[in-house]
Amino acid sequence: MNMLFRVAIKNVFRQKKRSFTLGVNYAIVTFILVLLFSFSQGARVNITSNLVRSSAGHITISGQYIVSGRVYNGLLRTPEIIATTRRTLGADTQVLPRYLLSSAVYYKGLSKRLSFVGIDTGMEQGFRDQITFAAGDWQGFVDGPNAVIIPQTTAEYFGLGYDEEVLISTRTRFGAFNTGTLKIKGIYTTNNFFIQNQVLAHLEFLRALDLAPEDAASTLYVYLPSTSGLADKRDRLIPALESIGFEVSKPKNDTEAVAAITAASPRYELDKEGRDRERLTLATIDEVLGLVRNILNAVNGVGTLIAAIMLFIIAVSIFINLRMSINERLREIGTLRTIGMAAGGVTGLFMLESILLALIFSLIGTGAALAAAALLRFVIVLPLSGNAALFLNQGHLMLVPRVTDILMIIAIITGFSALFSFFPARRGGKIRPVEALNRVF
Amino acid sequence: MKLYNLKRHCSRPLGPTTLRAALMLAACFLAATAAPLAAQQAGQNDPRAVKIVEGYESKTSLKGLEVTTTFTLVQKKKGEADRVLQVKVYRRDSADTFTLIFQYPDSEKGKGYYRSGDDLYLYLPSTREFVYRNRKDDVGSTEVRTDLFGQTKTLEQYRVSYLGTATVSKWDCDLVRLDAKQLDVSFPVQKWYFRKADGLPVKVENLSVSETLLRTFYYIDYATVAPNKFIFSKFLAVDNLEQGQQTFLTNENISTAAIPDYVFSKAFLEEQSR
Repeated sequence: MNMLFRVAIKNVFRQKKRSFTLGVNYAIVTFILVLLFSFSQGARVNITSNLVRSSAGHITISGQYIVSGRVYNGLLRTPEIIATTRRTLGADTQVLPRYLLSSAVYYKGLSKRLSFVGIDTGMEQGFRDQITFAAGDWQGFVDGPNAVIIPQTTAEYFGLGYDEEVLISTRTRFGAFNTGTLKIKGIYTTNNFFIQNQVLAHLEFLRALDLAPEDAASTLYVYLPSTSGLADKRDRLIPALESIGFEVSKPKNDTEAVAAITAASPRYELDKEGRDRERLTLATIDEVLGLVRNILNAVNGVGTLIAAIMLFIIAVSIFINLRMSINERLREIGTLRTIGMAAGGVTGLFMLESILLALIFSLIGTGAALAAAALLRFVIVLPLSGNAALFLNQGHLMLVPRVTDILMIIAIITGFSALFSFFPARRGGKIRPVEALNRVF
Repeated sequence: MKLYNLKRHCSRPLGPTTLRAALMLAACFLAATAAPLAAQQAGQNDPRAVKIVEGYESKTSLKGLEVTTTFTLVQKKKGEADRVLQVKVYRRDSADTFTLIFQYPDSEKGKGYYRSGDDLYLYLPSTREFVYRNRKDDVGSTEVRTDLFGQTKTLEQYRVSYLGTATVSKWDCDLVRLDAKQLDVSFPVQKWYFRKADGLPVKVENLSVSETLLRTFYYIDYATVAPNKFIFSKFLAVDNLEQGQQTFLTNENISTAAIPDYVFSKAFLEEQSR
C-alpha cells in the first residue's frame, strides 16, 4: 500500500500539462465554493449582528390593539409588558421600547419621506456606539425633546446644518394630520446598514406627534444575557403575558416575523369582531432571520449548481485523461501485472493518482479562496451605498470561512474524483498482462 | 378697551338710567363675544356658524338630483411637467353615493372609486381588485380628496364656531372655524370663508392638529345645477408645505339626466375597465 502510494505520488505530475489543466478545474471549483460558503456565513453573521444592534431584539414584541372597532398597530400598557418580561426572564433582561414612524419632512421647498426611530434616551445608548457624528453630539440630542440625529445623506439632500429646524407632517394613527418642528442636533454616518437611512428621534416626541397614549410603543426589543434556547424562553413568556390580559401569538411564518420588526405607525383598519382587545406577537431573532436564511440558502444553491456543472465537465475530463493515461502506460500496466500486482491494485493506483490530483488542487483552491477572503475582509474597502452595504462591515465584505464547510467541499471534490476515475481505472486493471505487453489500445 | 372708549367719549357723568343701559350694553357685548368661545370650549356648536354651514350644505347638497360631471385636474409641481387627469363622476346624493372613473391619461384609465355612505372602494384594473379606502383618499396623488365629489357632512364630523368677518379677494366673507369631533378626518382644524352675498365658500384653510396650515382650497367659481343648487366649476387646491405644488380643477359637461342604478355599483367599475 505504501509503495502504491509512493508510485501514485510520482505519477500525479507525470503528464504535467494534462494534470495541471485538470487540477486548475478542481482548484476553481473549490475556490468558488469556499468563497460562496464564506459569503453566506459572513452575511448571516453580519446581518444578525447589525439587526440585533439596531432593529430587532433577541425576542421582538410587536402587536395591535383594537379599540371601538378599529385596529391600531403598536402596543399599549408597555410598562406592564416590560415588568412582566423581566419578572419572567430574569432581572438582567433588558427591554427597550421603540416608536417607529414614516413621515414627510419639509425644508425650504424640499420634501422627503423619512423613517423615524424613536428611542428612550434614558434607557438606550446602543446607537451612540454605532454612529459617527459629522456634526453635533449625543448629549445635544439627549437634551432636546424635539432633537433629531439625521443621516449625512439626508442632511445633504436638504442642505441642512446643525441646529436648524425642519417641519414634520404626518398622518396620525387616527387619520388626522399632525405637524411638529424638529431640531437637528446631530448629523451622522454609520456602517450599520439597518440604521443608515433612519432619523433618530425621541420616543416621547414621536408618540405625541402620532397622538398615541403615554403607555404606547411600536415594539419592544428584549435582550437576554444568553441567546441559547430562545424559543423556550419565548414559550415561558407567552403565558405570563396572557395572564395579564394580552392575546399572545407566535409569527406564523418568516414574513410575519419580519413584519413584526418593521411595523411602523400606521393608519387604523376596521375590525368586525366587536370587542376591544390587545394582541401581541413574539418573534425570536431566528424567526426574523428566517427570510434571510432562505435567501442565502438560495444563493448557495445557485452557486452549488454552477459548481455541479463545472464538476460534470471535470468528470468528462477525468474520463478522457485516464483513458489516455492507460493507453500510454500499457507496458507499465503489463509489467506490474507480470510481477504480481492484482487487477484491483492497478485500478487502485489509477484512482489514487486521480484522488491525489483532486486533493492537491482542492487545497490550492482553498488556499487561494482563503487569501481572497482575507483580502476582501481586511484590506479592500468597498463603498457603503445601496443594498450591498447589507453585507459590509466597516466597508469590508464580510467573508467568514468555516472549517466544516472547507472539509466538506474538499471531501465532496475528492469523492467525486474517486467516483469518476473508478470506471476507466477498472478498465485499465482488467487488461491481461500479455495483452498489455503486446497491444496498444 | 371698548369700555375705556365708551367712558372717554361721554361728555357728562352717567346717570343711573344711562349707567344701567351702558352696563346692559356691555353685558350684551361680552355675551356676544364670549358665547362662541365658551361654546367651542364646551364642545358646543355656535348657532350662528351652524346656520351658515347649514345654508351652504343645503345649497351644495344635490339631493333629489342625479348629476354627471367631468372633472379635469391639472397638477403642478415645482420642476416637473404638469400632470393632467380627467375623471367622470356620477353622483346621487339621495343615496349618499357616487362613482368616479378615471378617463385620462391611459395609464390611469379604468381605475375608479365607488362610494357608498362612508365606505369607499378603489378599483385597480391591473389586479382587478377593490381596495377599501376611507374618505380621506387623495385622487390620483393630487391635492384633491375624494370627499370633494360627494355631499358633505360637516356638522356630523366637526364642531363649528364663528370667528368674524374677513375679505377674500373682493368678497366680504363670514369666517367659520371647524374643529373635528373625532380625529379620523384628514384636517382636524379648518377655516371656511363663506361669501356673504350667497353663502357659498370661497376659501378653505386646512390645518393640522397643531394648527399648521397644510392645504388651502379656493372655490373660484360655481355653476348652477338647479334653482338655488350649486356645484363648484373651478377649484384650486394649494399645498402649503410643498412649495409650488397645486392642483387646478375644472368641472365641465354638467348633466342632471337620470343615471341608471347599476352605475352605482362595483360591477360598473369592473365593466368600464374592460
